[in-house]
Amino acid sequence: MDFAFNDDQQLLKNAARSFLDEQCTSAVVRGLWDDPRGESEAMWKDMAQLGWLGLSLPEAYGGSGLGMVETAILLEEMGRAAYPGPYLPTVLAAHAIAAAGTKEQKARWLPGIATGGARATSAFVDSDLSWDPATTATRAEKAGTGWRLSGAKQFVAWAHVADVVLVPARAPEGLTLFLVEPASAGLALKPVTAIDLGTRWAAIALDNVSVGPDAVLGAPGSGERLVTELLRRGSVAASAEMLGAARRCLDMSVGYAKVREQFGQPIGSFQAIRHKCAEMLLEVENSHAAVYYAAWALDAAAPDAALAASVAKSYVSEAARRVCGEALQVHGGIGFTWEYDLHLYQKRAKALEPMYGDADWHRELILRHVTD
Amino acid sequence: MDLRYSSDDLAFRDATRRWFETNVPKVELKTLDERREWHRTLFAAGYVGMGWPPEYGGQAASALRQAIVADEMARVNAPPTINGLGIGIVGPTIIHHGTEAHKHRYLKKILAADELWCQLYSEPNAGSDLASLKTRAEDKGDHFEVNGQKIWTSYGAISDWGLLLARTDTSVAKHRGISCFLINIRQPGVDVRPLKQVTGNQEFCEVFMTGARVEKSDLVGRLGQGWEIAQTTLSYERGGNSLARVTRYTSAFHELVKAARGLRRGGRPLIDDPLVRAKLGRIYAELEVQRYAALRVLSALDKGEGPGAASSITKLSYSEFEKRYFELALEILGPYGQITAGLPEQLNTRVSASSGHGETWAYAYLWSRAGTIYSGSSEIQKNVIGERVLGLPKEARADRVK
Ligand SMILES: Cc1cc2nc3c(=O)[nH]c(=O)nc-3n(C[C@H](O)[C@H](O)[C@H](O)COP(=O)(O)OP(=O)(O)OC[C@H]3O[C@@H](n4cnc5c(N)ncnc54)[C@H](O)[C@@H]3O)c2cc1C
Repeated sequence: MDFAFNDDQQLLKNAARSFLDEQCTSAVVRGLWDDPRGESEAMWKDMAQLGWLGLSLPEAYGGSGLGMVETAILLEEMGRAAYPGPYLPTVLAAHAIAAAGTKEQKARWLPGIATGGARATSAFVDSDLSWDPATTATRAEKAGTGWRLSGAKQFVAWAHVADVVLVPARAPEGLTLFLVEPASAGLALKPVTAIDLGTRWAAIALDNVSVGPDAVLGAPGSGERLVTELLRRGSVAASAEMLGAARRCLDMSVGYAKVREQFGQPIGSFQAIRHKCAEMLLEVENSHAAVYYAAWALDAAAPDAALAASVAKSYVSEAARRVCGEALQVHGGIGFTWEYDLHLYQKRAKALEPMYGDADWHRELILRHVTD
Repeated sequence: MDLRYSSDDLAFRDATRRWFETNVPKVELKTLDERREWHRTLFAAGYVGMGWPPEYGGQAASALRQAIVADEMARVNAPPTINGLGIGIVGPTIIHHGTEAHKHRYLKKILAADELWCQLYSEPNAGSDLASLKTRAEDKGDHFEVNGQKIWTSYGAISDWGLLLARTDTSVAKHRGISCFLINIRQPGVDVRPLKQVTGNQEFCEVFMTGARVEKSDLVGRLGQGWEIAQTTLSYERGGNSLARVTRYTSAFHELVKAARGLRRGGRPLIDDPLVRAKLGRIYAELEVQRYAALRVLSALDKGEGPGAASSITKLSYSEFEKRYFELALEILGPYGQITAGLPEQLNTRVSASSGHGETWAYAYLWSRAGTIYSGSSEIQKNVIGERVLGLPKEARADRVK
């Protein structure tokens, strides 16, 4: 029984830390916040080179066949850097294609994703913002050998740079997952601007969008299981990224509390500040345990993997929000400025908080797991 | 990272599980003699003092195996050993700091619960600031004479011996003038008076020492080394019990869900009330996080990595969680949660607090207030985390030794 990272995992973490420290400085992040596209093509190619984009894809398609623990390690570091870009949505969608796709679908998308040529995302929620796949309202009707999709999707991450979007829609057979290219006729993207400019969302309107029979991922009617699995992975992935953002805020707070002096002494010598930092550390360490337990459980197909994903998402969503918020308090006025970097991480954690199901939804899922 | 148990550890767990399922007492143990007998049964089966070195009656068992046993005991709600402080604190202190003569004289009797022990540290005016203690031990040539008062001494009334901190030198800085002794508390100079706790039980006591005698040979370590020894003692207190603790919380949670199914409010079972569901879901998530964190600590302990000051995070985490947990349980149960006798049949379950001996929700709720006070209060833990884990500057303190 070993909860620590093995040597390879530690190396991956160190490599990610140094790459992002160099290539994804807060100046770079701020530059991308102001960029209409919002992400860097060069960084994306570098990440492909480092093997990050194919990290958990099968070797046959250019991947390294690693698991959720390794993915979480990278995402934690990305959260720590407030990395702006479609990494999380791309690897999540790629995982679904690898898990459920036909040979042709895999060949069409996976090598491109692994080498940095393609990006992907998923359109999970309709206008009612429910994360319960059973409530999906977007419809799929048979049209010849193919399908016609209609509906409205909200908060699709990085849709404006995606080459393919996973769209769950209700078909006569039941919920079905479709691979849709954003350039399709009848599909309209409407970007929104939110507080984390390193996270880009768009609304997608589907008005009788025609797709072929080869657009179905898995069998028609198999969507509920697939989406549920994807949301589980997404929950753990988002938790890892929130953990990274929270730890960054904690580190900045501790550093600041050591040097900022008031009343003739460092503010960290006041218990009100020191105890706050201790509580923040407690929540960060508990979040670490939650994220990596859940990631390991997914990799090991442990019987409690689904439960652990919901535990992580519900716990870390709130813990990260609190830690980042308390960091601002520890900093005082400087923490409230745009110039100071704290808000980059605080906003990243906040952006991920409702995604893949918020804390309340996951608590309901937890209760179903333990009482049913 | 791999959280699976090895096949050897799994086999050990299965054997342990079978043993406890067969041997756990079927009726409540009421008298001290009954509990002592259960303790000896556990000892004979190899489940007491497992982590101690073999030459002193232990098996040098890994942290994981010790946690497995504690966890299996929790699963069947087995009564604890009776010499908890002897096994967990006094024995390890003697093993680390005692003489060969101490080891021969005391260790076996601790394991077999022939002699029960308590910890004589806190005083009326020396709690968190333990180093300010005033109890004196004076060298009388062939023995030490002890005068002073201890308080909050758990199990004082049933103990035969105490691990004592007393001042032997008033001329040096307060931390340096303290020594550690083994004292027989069944002697005329020692008066033990039980104190009633908020739970209604009498687990802790006041201990008055007036001209009490400690043999010269019962000094542990050197004169003036008491504070240093006490620091290592405190770290034994936070071992690998966290997994078992979570197992007890988990069984309590299932009892709570059962209760929420049985109780109706506003025409429907409580378990169908979205507010109740949200509360239950939240606390279960926290409970699981405690379990994952316990595994993380256990994995480090198992590799021989002492958690050091980071053990303060564990202690702060579970003790604060336990308060939230039982507060929530009593919110859900309403006034039923406060009943100590005469509970309706469907709520009449055995709920085991993390320690102590009560088995009602009410008892567990009250007892949960103790954990953030003993072994270093939450405020003290946060000071330790701030200073020693995060490296924040020390606070200005009137008594700081320069
Ligand atoms: C159930 C129980 C069993 C116990 N068993 C034993 C036993 O077997 N043997 C034994 O020796 N003792 C035992 N104790 C005593 C325990 O160790 C002390 O109660 C504890 O050290 C706190 O001391 P105090 O009660 O004097 O509180 P105080 O130290 O007076 O603390 C009062 C309040 O002030 C806070 N405070 C104190 N100092 C600081 C600081 N520097 N910064 C911020 N806040 C501070 C505390 O956190 C607390 O909230 C037991 C206590 C309990 C509740």
